[in-house]
Amino acid sequence: MTDTTDFEAKRDIAEIAVERYKQGRLTRRGFVAAMGALGVLPALGSKAHAQAKEIIVVNWGGAAKDVLQEVLCDTYTAETGIPVIVDGSGPSAGKIRAMVESGAVVWDLCDSGAGSAIILEQQGMTQPIDYSIVDKSKVLEGTAYKNGVGNYVYSYVLATNPKMLGGNVPQTWEDVWNVKDFPGMRTFRKSVRGQLECATMAQGVPLNEVYEALGTQDGINAAIAKFRELRENIIVWGSGSDSQNLFLQEEVAIGNIWSTRAHLLKDQMDKDAFNVSFNGGVIAPGIWVVPKGNPAGTEETMKFIAHGQKPELQVKWLEMIGSGPVNPEAAELVPAELAPYNPSSPENLATQILYNDEWYAKNQIAAEELYVDALIN
Amino acid sequence: MPRINEKVSYWMLVAPALAIMVIFYIVPVLGIWKIAFTEPETGVANFVAMAGSNAVKTSFIITFRVAAITTIGCLILGYIVAYAISNFASKFTPLMVALVILPFWVSVLIRSFSWIVLLGRSGIVNDTLKGAGLIDAPLRLMHNETGVLIAMIHVMLPFAILPMLTNMRGISGAYVQAARSLGASEWTAFRQVYFPQTMPGVMSGALLVFVLSLGFFVTPALLGGGRVLMISEYITYQIQEFLNWGLGSALSVALLIATALVLLIAARFVNLRSALLERK
Repeated sequence: MTDTTDFEAKRDIAEIAVERYKQGRLTRRGFVAAMGALGVLPALGSKAHAQAKEIIVVNWGGAAKDVLQEVLCDTYTAETGIPVIVDGSGPSAGKIRAMVESGAVVWDLCDSGAGSAIILEQQGMTQPIDYSIVDKSKVLEGTAYKNGVGNYVYSYVLATNPKMLGGNVPQTWEDVWNVKDFPGMRTFRKSVRGQLECATMAQGVPLNEVYEALGTQDGINAAIAKFRELRENIIVWGSGSDSQNLFLQEEVAIGNIWSTRAHLLKDQMDKDAFNVSFNGGVIAPGIWVVPKGNPAGTEETMKFIAHGQKPELQVKWLEMIGSGPVNPEAAELVPAELAPYNPSSPENLATQILYNDEWYAKNQIAAEELYVDALIN
Repeated sequence: MPRINEKVSYWMLVAPALAIMVIFYIVPVLGIWKIAFTEPETGVANFVAMAGSNAVKTSFIITFRVAAITTIGCLILGYIVAYAISNFASKFTPLMVALVILPFWVSVLIRSFSWIVLLGRSGIVNDTLKGAGLIDAPLRLMHNETGVLIAMIHVMLPFAILPMLTNMRGISGAYVQAARSLGASEWTAFRQVYFPQTMPGVMSGALLVFVLSLGFFVTPALLGGGRVLMISEYITYQIQEFLNWGLGSALSVALLIATALVLLIAARFVNLRSALLERK
C-alpha cells in the first residue's frame, strides 16, 4: 500500500501560521521563539533524548510548531508539571520507521496522516491507542484507528468571489461546472486529492455514494472527463499559497481550496468578495501516532492526547490557524463569526464526506496521470 | 626547469575544469541514468510506462513547441537589437550593451514574478488597456501559453542577442559598401552580403536559446497556470509528489536524448563547428 498522507497539506498549515503572525494574530514572543528554534532544530533533535517525564511531540514545523506548543503543550505543562516540547522536523512515515527500527526512539507523539498511520500499523511501528484514556467519542467518526487517532481536520471547500460573479454565486459543484451561468476562471488543486470527489458530485452523484462511484474505472474516467470538459476555465494551484494568491489577485472567481487557506482569505478580502461553502466538501483529518517504544511511555502520551481533545483547546487551534476541531463537541464553543469556517461544525459536517485514504492508496497514482493528461492534452 | 611538452601542458590546463565537470556533473547524471533503469525494479519498465503515457507525450510536445516559438521570437527581436547596436555607431552603444546584460543581474524568479504583476487580470497591462477604453473585460495574458511565451522570450532574449552581437561586430562594413558601390540596393546588399555572414551568430543564438528553453522550469511553472506543463516541471512533479524517482529519471534521460537528437538534426543543416566555434 502506498502512503497517501498529504505532506503538502501539513506543511501548508505550518506556513499558514507565518501568515497569521504577519496579520498580527500570533504573539510576537511566540513567533520569535519558534523562529529561533527553527534555526537550532537539528540540535534540538539530538538533544531531545527525552528524559523520563518529558513528552516530545513532533509536527511539521514552521510556526505551526509554536501554535501547537502554546495551545496544547504549555497548557498541559501548566496542569501537570510535565514539560512537553514540540519538534518541528516533520514525522514522515519513513522517519518514524527508521527511528523505531534503529531502536533509538526519541519521539513520543507524531502528527501524521491516515495513510501513514495505516502503513505504520501494518509494519508494526506504532502502538495501539489506549481508548480507555483517549476518548473515542471525542473525535470525528472514522478518525479513531487502532494505532492512530484524529488531532485536527481541514477540508476541501468551495470558495467563491461573489463580487466578481455579480452576486450570482455557485452553490453546488454542478454549478461550478456550469460555465454559462457562472462565467470566470476556476481553480483546482494540481493533484486529484479532494478534486475527483467534487467532479463526481458535479455529475449529480449524492454525497454518500461518491467513493462508491469512484470505486470503478468508469467512475474515475467520468470524473476525469468532467475536468477535461472544464479545462479551458481552469487554473491549477500547486501550493496553498498559490490558491490564496489566485483569489487575492482576482485571477479566479471560484475554486476548490483548503479551508485553512479560506480562513486566511476571509480576513484578507472584502466581506462581499469572499465566500466559502462546505456543501460537497471533503474533510481530511490529521492523525496522532505513537511510535513503538517511545521514551515517555504509553500512558503518559495517551494522557497528553486526551488533554488535546478538550474542546476549548481545539477551538483555540481553529482561531489561530484555521485547523478545525476533530472533537465535534467543540463546535458549540466556536465563536459565531468563526462557525461558518469551522470544517467540523454540525451544519458543515452534514454536507461533507470524509477523505477516503483507502481509495487514494489504491487509485491515486493512476488517477493523477489521467488528471494531468485531461488538463494539458 | 624541465620542458613540459605541449600535450602535457594542454591537459594540465584543462584538467581542473574537466575534473569538476566529471565529479559534480557527469557522475551524478550517470547516477540518474542508473535510477531510470533500476527503480523500482531493474529493466526498462519506466520507459515503457513513459511511452504509454499520453500526459508525457503531450508534455513533450508542449515543451518543444514552447522552446521553438521562444527561439523564433528571440531571434527576430534579438537580431534587430544586435543589428542596431553593431551597425549604428553611437555614443549610446555601451549603454545599449549594458541594458542587454542588465537582466542577468535580476534572478529569473523575480523577472517571472514581475510578469505576474504586469499580465494579471488586474495587472498593469490590463488596467492600462481598460483605462484607455480599448477593452471591456481583462484579456487573458497569463496562466496560459501566451503568458509563458511572453515571459520566456523576455528571459531568453539576452542569450540570443549576445552571440549575434559578437558575430556582427566582427563583420567588416567594407563588404556591404562594396556591394552598394557595385549597384546593389540596400535590401539586396543586406540579404545577399550581410545576412549570410551573420548566420553563425544566428545559429549559435538559436541553439543556446532552444536548448536552455527545453529545460526551463521556473517561468512556465509560474505563468502557465498548471496547464503548460513542461517536461522539467513534470519531472519535479513525479519526484516530489509521488517520490517516483524511476519515472522522473527516465523522463530526464528522454529529455536529454531528445535534445541531443535536435542538435544532430540541426547539424545536418548547419555546420555546427563553424557556428559555435569560429565566430567571425
